[in-house]
Amino acid sequence: MTRALGWLTALGLLVGLAAGFLYAPREAVQGNVQRIMYLHVPSVLTAYLAFGLVLLGSIAYLATRRPGWDRLAGSAGEIGVLFTGLTIVSGSIWGKPTWGTWWTWDARLTSTAVLFCVYVGYLLLRSLIDDPDARGRYAAVVGILGAVNIPIVHFSVKWWRALHQPSTILGPEPSPIDPAIGLALFVNWMAFTLLFAYFLSRRMEIARLEEQT
Amino acid sequence: MPANWGYVLAAYGIAAIALFGYWRHLARRARALTRPRPATKARAA
Repeated sequence: MTRALGWLTALGLLVGLAAGFLYAPREAVQGNVQRIMYLHVPSVLTAYLAFGLVLLGSIAYLATRRPGWDRLAGSAGEIGVLFTGLTIVSGSIWGKPTWGTWWTWDARLTSTAVLFCVYVGYLLLRSLIDDPDARGRYAAVVGILGAVNIPIVHFSVKWWRALHQPSTILGPEPSPIDPAIGLALFVNWMAFTLLFAYFLSRRMEIARLEEQT
Repeated sequence: MPANWGYVLAAYGIAAIALFGYWRHLARRARALTRPRPATKARAA
């Protein structure tokens, strides 16, 4: 099952690359550098999904004390940190030619950096506690509190005056994106979601094996 | 408008290294956990 998902993910990523580099047109204002968005936007949406699952797993673990929920939360947290890191790095590389700077303390960038640090702390906490139940309980509290930052990241561009552009995909208004660019973004988003599902499946299996040893 | 392909390649290159590296880390960890351990001989009393 996981192997099939792996091959489907590889295919999805190849189709995503083809959509981003061969199908989608060169953006009129930003030029080729806009193609970084096919990596940046799916990365942050995948990170939101991962941290949403950390929240779900944390609440469910505190309610049921079933270790499977803690495995879900811990595994999703690790993968969420990976995709948040990719979001920050790809956004920074895009920012240099577009904004003229690698980094600025804009509301969206700062709140994303805080999100990254919170979940790195979450992973650090998990690695410091040996007792599985205590680890699950303490990590669940951080996992629930950390999720508060997700809407702050998403709505930061509305709540504060920011350099970062407002939401064009998950915004309330119809998306102004060119249909070909929108399709390429959607294909890459789906490919990253598959990649997340594949990583999560493998990471949870490793967590299960670690508990047995 | 400059082509800026260098930035595009840098972003995708770093992402490929990070994702491939994480995949390899998971594969190695899974292999280490599923590898059968050599049986230890019971010490004679």
